[in-house]
Amino acid sequence: MGKVAANMKIMPHSPEIDLDELQERLEASLPEGAQINGFERDDVAFGLVALLPTVIVADDAGGTEVVEDAFAEVEGVESVAVEDVGRI
Amino acid sequence: MSDKLHQNLAIIGHVDHGKSTLVGRLLYETGSVPEHVIEQHKEEAEEKGKGGFEFAYVMDNLAEERERGVTIDIAHQEFDTDEYNFTIVDCPGHRDFVKNMITGASQADNAVLVVAADDGVAPQTREHVFLARTLGINELIIGVNKMDLVDYEEGKYEEVKDEVTDLLNQVRFDTENASFIPISAFEGDNIAEASDNTGWYSGDTLLEALNDLPEVEPPTDAPLRLPIQDVYTISGIGTVPVGRIETGTMEPGNNVSFQPSDVGGEVKTVEMHHEEVPSAGPGDNVGFNVRGIGKDDIRRGDVCGPADDPPSVAETFQAQLVVMQHPSVITSGYTPVFHAHTAQVACTIESIDQKLDPSTGEVAEENPDFIQSGDAAIVTVRPQKPLSLEPSGEIPELGSFAVRDMGQTIAAGKVLEVNER
Ligand SMILES: Nc1nc2c(ncn2[C@@H]2O[C@H](COP(=O)(O)OP(=O)(O)O)[C@@H](O)[C@H]2O)c(=O)[nH]1
Repeated sequence: MGKVAANMKIMPHSPEIDLDELQERLEASLPEGAQINGFERDDVAFGLVALLPTVIVADDAGGTEVVEDAFAEVEGVESVAVEDVGRI
Repeated sequence: MSDKLHQNLAIIGHVDHGKSTLVGRLLYETGSVPEHVIEQHKEEAEEKGKGGFEFAYVMDNLAEERERGVTIDIAHQEFDTDEYNFTIVDCPGHRDFVKNMITGASQADNAVLVVAADDGVAPQTREHVFLARTLGINELIIGVNKMDLVDYEEGKYEEVKDEVTDLLNQVRFDTENASFIPISAFEGDNIAEASDNTGWYSGDTLLEALNDLPEVEPPTDAPLRLPIQDVYTISGIGTVPVGRIETGTMEPGNNVSFQPSDVGGEVKTVEMHHEEVPSAGPGDNVGFNVRGIGKDDIRRGDVCGPADDPPSVAETFQAQLVVMQHPSVITSGYTPVFHAHTAQVACTIESIDQKLDPSTGEVAEENPDFIQSGDAAIVTVRPQKPLSLEPSGEIPELGSFAVRDMGQTIAAGKVLEVNER
């Protein structure tokens, strides 16, 4: 089975959230089998900054769903979206 | 970056039919393998006293190397032909990624479908073809791969070609927009040069076919459609909806409407990358504020559009879908969750109107009692909560959906017609 890279977009609850800490919480929440290769940040608007982790998951059952669910539970996360996926 | 015209090219097909090998081959033949991989090979070859740059080496090292990459670029490889600069998206095989491809940001313009000559049409071949159809892929180049494994037999090639043609008919993909090429990704036949092994074939090589693809159509002149991802209250500013513009443009002063919440107002400011902009267009991630809109007036899943050409809200809609997997059968009354743009809404399949014939694409059965895995059908759907959608013939970006139930993606489809509420 190949591996898939997913570009995820995490929006924080508010512009006041500390992004370094949020990043750590996201890393800690990662389900087994998935891996975060790196984080980018995207300035959106009015002080809101999105975190864009590149997450590697296996190309088999479940897709990105388990990671999305885990991230959605993390304190300070407003929403989780998958922007882009591709096999590596 | 090159100044050539750009295309996003999807590589689709069943697992193990040779997609990665073909991607590697395309990079290799077009001289797009990263310089340091070539350098590294030279060093190793010198140590071992071997010469020549081998394709096998590229395959071994590219994957390993990409796995260590830290940005999404690892999934996007590029190569050039005379006409075009291609970005390749090697599509995940598993159907659970279908939702991502439907709600994702980048759209492939054209696709190469890889079908192994020794295996023919396999389950993911089917799913990917339907996906390509749903996502609005214009042209399909079918690489009948692993021809070396079937001794480059014309009969075998024709057999697979017929099978794939049947499949295309089933999902009503215009076969005039499909071309077939016998290839071996591994050996390099008919990729950059016409192969001596397939004397019976006189058509284009794969790179010629890619170079001859029509130019990507310019973005539609569709009106503004901006699915709302999140809604914030920012101190000193007020309510700020955030999302990615799918079609059209947004400018301060525009009068906009949010559907299905059915509220509207005048756009005051639009920000992108933390800067105020005079105008934002397709693909832009924006935050904006609208006079008179409160945080509780709008929500995720709303679509923002011009007040005089507002997003459609479906009372019911007719759609073409393909059932990718379902443990039993689907009958009218079934109510799974539909994922379209940023919305997730439970919808009832109110009637199954037509089942399509696998070999001809014609209507096989009117009002069938049920459909099951592998079937393509036209259905009428009733959202259980208001849902904004557009016919895919008018605004494809807002016209496709994935259907999920029991933690799995069970179907994908596109909207044919919206009966507005
Ligand atoms: N003989 C032969 N083997 C091939 C060819 N293309 C791919 N393969 C082999 O088929 C297997 C699966 O290929 P891969 O590219 O990983 O398939 P993917 O899952 O579709 O990406 C690998 O062992 C490849 O070496 C081909 O043209 N000829």
